[in-house]
Parts: sequence; structure tokens; C-alpha cells
Amino acid sequence: MENNILERDGSSKNKVIRTSVLFMGLSHIIYFKQYVKGALFAILEILMFISLPFTIGKLADMVTLGEPQPELPIKERSNSIFMLIDGVMVLMIVLLFVIVYIISVKSALYEYKVFCITGEITSNKMAVKQIFGKSFPIAALAPAVLLVVFFVIVPLVFSAAVAFTDYSSPGHIPPNNTVNWVGFKNFSELFGGSNSWTTALGRVAIWTIVWAVFATFTCFAFGMLIAVVLKEARIKIAPVFRVIFILPYAVPSVISMLVWTNLLNGSFGIVNKTLQQIGISGNIPWLSDPFMAKVSCILINLWAGFPYFMLLVMGNMTSISEDLYEAARIDGASVWMQFKKITFPLVIFQTAPLLIMGFTHNVNNFGAIYFLTNGNPVVADTTVTNAGGTDILITWIYNLTMNALKYNYASVIAVMIFVIMAPFAIWNFKNTKSYKEGEL
Amino acid sequence: MKARGIKKIWGYIAIAFLVLVSLWVIYPLVYLVSGAFAPGSSIAQLPVKPFGSGFTLEHFTYLFKRTDYVQWFLNTLYVSVLTAITTTVVSALSAYVFSRFRFTMKKQMMMAMLILQIFPSIVGMVAMYVILLRINALDTLWGLVLIYLADNIPYNTWMVKSYVDTVPRSLDEAARIDGASHFYIFRKVVMPVAKPILVFLAISSFSAPWMDFIFPKMVLRSSEKMTLAIGLFGFVTEKKNDFTVFAAGSLLIAIPFIIFFVFSQNLIVTSLGGGAVKE
Repeated sequence: MENNILERDGSSKNKVIRTSVLFMGLSHIIYFKQYVKGALFAILEILMFISLPFTIGKLADMVTLGEPQPELPIKERSNSIFMLIDGVMVLMIVLLFVIVYIISVKSALYEYKVFCITGEITSNKMAVKQIFGKSFPIAALAPAVLLVVFFVIVPLVFSAAVAFTDYSSPGHIPPNNTVNWVGFKNFSELFGGSNSWTTALGRVAIWTIVWAVFATFTCFAFGMLIAVVLKEARIKIAPVFRVIFILPYAVPSVISMLVWTNLLNGSFGIVNKTLQQIGISGNIPWLSDPFMAKVSCILINLWAGFPYFMLLVMGNMTSISEDLYEAARIDGASVWMQFKKITFPLVIFQTAPLLIMGFTHNVNNFGAIYFLTNGNPVVADTTVTNAGGTDILITWIYNLTMNALKYNYASVIAVMIFVIMAPFAIWNFKNTKSYKEGEL
Repeated sequence: MKARGIKKIWGYIAIAFLVLVSLWVIYPLVYLVSGAFAPGSSIAQLPVKPFGSGFTLEHFTYLFKRTDYVQWFLNTLYVSVLTAITTTVVSALSAYVFSRFRFTMKKQMMMAMLILQIFPSIVGMVAMYVILLRINALDTLWGLVLIYLADNIPYNTWMVKSYVDTVPRSLDEAARIDGASHFYIFRKVVMPVAKPILVFLAISSFSAPWMDFIFPKMVLRSSEKMTLAIGLFGFVTEKKNDFTVFAAGSLLIAIPFIIFFVFSQNLIVTSLGGGAVKE
């Protein structure tokens, strides 16, 4: 096949780029005679042009979020939240289109490179065949990509956007009223004031971190202790204990937390009634005193969480070679020395990444707080902010969304969680095998 | 002889310690069981001594006759089975593509998946609600499945991809030379080898909906559509306390879970220690 339009020395590169940027697939058609592939690209661009008024309309709606129309019946007023979410979705579609555009330009450049080297162009037939070859990966990836884009990324972008609006009860809940962009107003109200919101935010953020640290550390330390004792005690009934200790891991946590919250009830819970019968009078405010409730949260989380780390450490200990211990015993090392010098360092080395994952899990451990204390007890600022004494950021977000309808503040707090989690996301990323092996 | 004596003492201390911990572990579960069979309704009426106030099966009959318990169970089963199947299929397909193909934006997509899985899905709750509203999926079980599925994909794709990476490429290249299609290689060559991780994935995505509360609460409205977690939670709200009915309903769920975990504990130990959850 011949090609008179392009030079073989690479000097027509800009020409190829210009043509393919001008209209998607144009290079494929006029330079490389790949009519089918080019036409597919071109059809996509034409579709995009046809839907342009729709796209622009949706994006414009996202910018204005609609005007208040109190004169219209509620059903006909513009719904700012629908406008915002449609805008975000349309934005994603535009983004996908841009990506396909980039792919088309890259593909044209690739064809040109092949032409420069071989002097021939891939025939139309071959190109069609290639498209079929690529259809499997595209079809296989499509469900995952579409679901993640529309059910994970769109919601995240949406909630980040809500942080800059006044979407909140009572004045700005569609469809009755519209929502407006307010810039950084929510941030300054939450971070920069002397009001109860700022106090609550500081309080809840600190408790979230304290909680996550203690919850992770206690579970890990206790789980490891149990694993080591079970192994070192060399008792015949160790498997029985192991089955017992696995129970909290096996029982769904919604159930066990709700049982605990009933048992610990200050006035009629079983725990206090039992204490009374054995002579310790005075109701202990397990869940009703702010400090006591926090201690209870950590203790009950220990109950629920240590089996996981116990199993983890057990799994790791089985992979430690028995020779190491043998050699240590010959040198006269005590059990404690063996633990300190062999088991502990090796297990820590193996489980450190999971320890950090455990921390991030606990930052977002909704169930452990919500079902046990429901965020209670009430503290000074609770009536205004909806944040109780044991609420962590994630349960607070839930309350603000489901009960208080302060979506804007909930989103600001969500952004805060992003900030707390970001270092871990990066750390997590750098620790993957793919990153270490240079694939990423 | 002295050293042996000390060792013996340590042995007793260890056993005493383990017994104490066992008591603490069993403590709430004893009241879960006794509550399920005790007469009365609220926790206040429950005696301190387990099984101290008699024995009754009325809470179980109440659950089956007067509430939608069976329906809740079937709904949860439906959601978990569907979530497990779709999560496994979608994650396996995309993991295979990520592992075996080279394409534009692959790096960026993999990075995005990794970063996305660290953010809690509660954050996007309002948007998910509005999206489900727009596609008419509110108060439907498939809407719930859709949310779980999307939420599962980023992490599980990575997990399966890491596993598939360890499957030698010579296997699929041999099949390729024989003229097998990509889908055939995926189904008949790579997936059988990756079976352990897929089983792990199916089990973990099957068990999650049984415990989740947030999303069913958001998506489902009518009593006959509810899942077990919200149904059971409804028995012990601030307004009413039907602890005994709650205990009866919970016990029926907890038993299969306990049996499963006790029997699969060795599998769990090896998969936790062996790196099923590590990338």
C-alpha cells in the first residue's frame, strides 16, 4: 500500500496530531485508510456534538443550581440537588469522552510510527481485526469502570462539591428551596469560629484519632498476648480456647454491639444489676458518663476486635521456623527472651501493614460506635451540633446527614476525613507490590 | 527441679488467664442465648442469673408469626448471594484485564482504584441516594446490590489482580498459541488457578450484607423489603426494648455464622497469615 500524504522521516507527526485533534478518527480515515476504526471514532464525536446542547445545559445548571421559584408548585421548581448530581455525572461523561479522544490521537500516532518504520499502513481489515481483539478487555473492564465512576467517584465528587454549598435544613432543602454556592463559608464556620461547631469539630476529631489509636493498639496487643499464651502454655485444651476466642469474630458485630449496649445500660443493664447483687452498689455510668463511655467503647471494641489479630498473629507464628526456637533454647534463652527476640520482631514485621490498615479501619469504624453508644452521651454542644460524647467523625457525618439534614457541614467533615486518610492512601499505595516492582 | 516448678506455676497462671478471658468473651453471648428463651420482653425484666426466670419459645413463634422475619432473612440472602456473585465476576474480569493487558490509562486507573478503596462509602451517601432515586432503585433490593457491588470493586480488583499476577503467563500463552480466545483463557485457564482467592472473595462479599446497617437503612423503606440488620435493630430502639425478641432473632443468625467460622478457622488462619489480604 502506498501513502503519498505522509513523509516517512517522522516530519509529518504534527500533521497527524493536528488532523486527529481536528476531528476524532479523521487521521485514521484519510491517512491510514482504516475506515471502520475511523468511522467508529467519528460517530462518537458526532454523538457528542448532537448532545452538546444537553451537555452544556446540564453544566450550566450545575453552575447556577437553579433560581428560587416560589410562585411555582413544588413539583415544578428547579431541584438544585438533581442539577448538581446531573452536572457531576455529565462532567464524568465528558471526561470519559476526553479520554477516548486522547486514545484516538495516540492510536493515530502509533499508526504513523508503524508507517515510518515499515513504510506500510495497517490495512482496514487488520484494523477491524484488532478492534475485535481489543473488544474483550474493553467489555471485561466496562462494568467495573462504569460502576466505580457512577457509584464511587460521582458520590465522592458530589459530596466534595456540597461542602461549598448551603445545602442544609431548614432553609435550603430542595425541592422546596434552592441550594446556592457559598464558597468557603462552611469551612470558615466550622474551623474558624468560637461557636460550638468549632468546639465540636475539634473535640470529635481528637477523639476519632485517640479512639483509632487505642482501638487498634489494644486489639493488637491483646490478640498477640493471647496467641502467644495459647502457643507457649502447651496445654491440651488450647483448641477449645481458640474456638471460644473466635466467637466475637464470628458473631455479626451489629448483634454483639447491641447486646453489649443492653447489658451495660446504666439503670437496668445486667452488668450493674450483677454488681449490685455482689455488693457493689451505685450504678456505674458505663455509657452515660462522657469519659466512662469512651473507655467502654475501647473495651468493647477490644472484645470484638482482638480475635482478628489473634488469628493474624497465629497465622504468622506458624510461618516462623521452629529451628530458630530450637537454637535459642540450646543457647539457654528463656521463653520471654524467645518472644522478645524472635516472635515479636518477626510478627511485627509481618503485620505492620495490617496494623496501619487497622488504624484506617477504626477511623471509619461506624458500627463499633453507632450500635454501642449511638454517639451518646449528650454533651454541652450536642443539641446544636448533633455530636455526642463518643461520636467519631464518621458517625457524626451519619447523624448530620440522616437526622439533622446539615449536608453541607457533613461534607466539610467528609473532606476532613479525606485529609486524615490521604497519608494512609499514599502509604498504602507505596507499599503495594506493583509500586515496588515499578509497575506503577 | 526448681525450674520445672516455676514452669508449672506459669502454666497454671496461663490457664487461669485464659479461663478469665473466656468468661469475658462468653459473657454477652450467654445473655444473648438466655434472653432468647426468657419470658418477658425488655432487658430490665431479664434476671441476673442466666435462664433464671424460666424457659419459653414464644419469641421464636412471635418472630415467625407476627413479624416479617422470614422475609427479612430471604431478602438478606438474596442481596448477599447476588452481591457475592456479581462482585466475584466483575472483579475477576477486571483483575484479569489489569493483570494481562497493556492499555492507555492503565496506571492511572489502578492508582485511582487504590486510592478510592480507602475512603468510607458513608461519605457519598447523599449522592448515592439521589442516584438511586433517579434510576428508580430506591426501596429495591437490586439498588442495594448495586451499591455493595460498586463499593467492593476497587479493593477486590486489586486483591484478585495481585493473585492473578502470580499465575505464570506461560499458561495463557500456550492456550493462545492453540488459538483460544481471551474469554476462553480467562474462564478455563486463569480462573481455575485463581480459585482460592475467588472463594475467599465470594465468602467475604457474601457475609458483609448480613451485618451492614447503613445502606439498607438508606435504600429500603417498606418492612417487607428490609434486611435482617435493620429488622433486628428495630426491636431495640430508644422507644421500645424487645430485647428478648431481638435475642431470639439474632441467635438464629449468629449460629450459622459461628458454625462456619469454627469450621473454617484453619482456612482463616492461613489466609490471614499467608497474605490473602496483602497486596
